[in-house]
Amino acid sequence: MSGTGTGLLSARGLHKSFGDLSVLAGIDLEARPGQVLSVLGPSGCGKSTLLRVLAGFEAPTSGEVLLDGVRLSGPSADRGMVAQAGGLFPWLTLRDNLAFGPRASRRTGTQVTAVVDELLSATGLDGFADALPKQLSGGMRQRAAIAQVLANRPPVLLLDEPFGALDAQTRLRMHEWLRALLAERPTTVLLVTHDVEEALLLGDRLCLLSNRPACVVDELPVPFGADRGRAVLADAEFVRLKATVLERVLTA
Amino acid sequence: MSAALLEDVLVPAGPGPAHSRARRRGRRLLGLVVPVLLLATWYVVSDREILSTRLLPGPGTVATALAEFFTGDRNDTLAGVVPFTGAGPEHLAASLTRCGVSWLLAVLVGSVVGLLLGLSSLARDLLDPILNALRAVPLFAWLPLALVWFGLGEGAARAIIFVGALWPVLVAVGDATARVPRGHVETARMLGTPRRWLWRKVYLPSALPEVVTGLRLSLTLAWTCVIVGELSGTDRGVGAMMSAARETGRTEQVVVGIVVFAAVGLLADLVLRGVTARWVRWSRA
Ligand SMILES: Nc1ncnc2c1ncn2[C@@H]1O[C@H](COP(=O)(O)OP(=O)(O)OP(=O)(O)O)[C@@H](O)[C@H]1O
Ligand SMILES: [Mg+2]
Repeated sequence: MSGTGTGLLSARGLHKSFGDLSVLAGIDLEARPGQVLSVLGPSGCGKSTLLRVLAGFEAPTSGEVLLDGVRLSGPSADRGMVAQAGGLFPWLTLRDNLAFGPRASRRTGTQVTAVVDELLSATGLDGFADALPKQLSGGMRQRAAIAQVLANRPPVLLLDEPFGALDAQTRLRMHEWLRALLAERPTTVLLVTHDVEEALLLGDRLCLLSNRPACVVDELPVPFGADRGRAVLADAEFVRLKATVLERVLTA
Repeated sequence: MSAALLEDVLVPAGPGPAHSRARRRGRRLLGLVVPVLLLATWYVVSDREILSTRLLPGPGTVATALAEFFTGDRNDTLAGVVPFTGAGPEHLAASLTRCGVSWLLAVLVGSVVGLLLGLSSLARDLLDPILNALRAVPLFAWLPLALVWFGLGEGAARAIIFVGALWPVLVAVGDATARVPRGHVETARMLGTPRRWLWRKVYLPSALPEVVTGLRLSLTLAWTCVIVGELSGTDRGVGAMMSAARETGRTEQVVVGIVVFAAVGLLADLVLRGVTARWVRWSRA
């Protein structure tokens, strides 16, 4: 359960190969408590693989993953992950999807209802509690998938291009929604994306990965406050930084 | 965070327009057109005696025999003779029991072996070839063996129905389990589901639509196998009645058997579909 640790997730010398294919080549990174670490990298460089190793779905070939200094192996409820394709169970209604985690951790019925109701309104999906995932729009589904994971109040949230499939306007709305949601529940977030703007809008720090096999080529702080809205898009500093980072990604 | 901001992201999701539902109901009535035409043709053919009534008795004769079968007075108690008048409930009960017991056993065995095949690649490599070979054996080919093993009568009949009903369940459960997306399993694990509950929380619900299709196919097959099973010398059962009727040249009684088989088969499928509807609704388009 959250609250016990502080939620410091670190990777030390992570290597991962699939047969002869080396995908991760010694990744060191640290996602700090209550902060959003944006991980940027070219397509196919191994971002999803990195998240899957951090989540415990894949064992690293070498290296280790630590949460608050404790070595981890295998998936568990303290690292919530939203996969690239979204994780909702298609046979459950939205309400049952959100209740899945709390029920699995043996919360009582009233606790489950309270958590679910709170998340339904936080996602603006109150009216769709009894809808099946296929009856939701793409944006609604992504919000629901994030809410499903947050229902367990995990100290660490791993997001794999959560808004990649959405149109630009919807994505902007989702960014503001996610910022508001996280403001209310301090969580360590590792956000994988290939969208520089998204990385800068949401991230407190930025981590750039090289082409495959991936290693960290740069790490930099994002010099904007936690209260930044979409207005920051027009900020000269933001525009300049975006261009610089984009250049770095393209030449990584 | 304002809800208004989200509002235009939301799309309305609700039941389709009412007129399309009315049309669907109208379309369903279409299924009655062909049976009514067939019945009319049947009536004309037998009424004009285009075919001799010994080959094809008229609908009226068959209807009378059907009524007799279910509501007539029992008057034949000779040992070893298959009764007809008033014996409908008894024959039907015998066939239904035979079919039900064998089908349930097939569902049980098919599910367990299918799950094993779906979840373990070792089991798959070990058993797939032999199962595929056995599956290719025609049902009638099992009949002599069943007679040798179980003797004339009940045992052989049940064995034949069991074999016929087994394969669709086994294949459906095996395929459906093997095809459960790994992402669902990972999501459940990540949300804190213990391994021992995965089958109930993920595998079962995810596989159910395909499994239900297999169950329906299997039940229909079990019911068709009843007649094969009852050729093994049982003296009770709808199939047994039909064999006896053929031997005594009562074609209308044979047709009664066909009508009963069709009606029960249709009814059983409807019931099974009704019972399972809420498990598979999510997968319907
Ligand atoms: N289970 C696996 N077995 C073999 N190769 C794999 C496996 N998973 C990933 N790979 C390979 O690892 C490489 C990195 O894949 P990955 O999905 O991590 O990239 P990505 O950075 O997330 O890409 P994208 O931006 O398109 O999402 C690819 O070349 C892929 O083929
Ligand atoms: Mg990816």
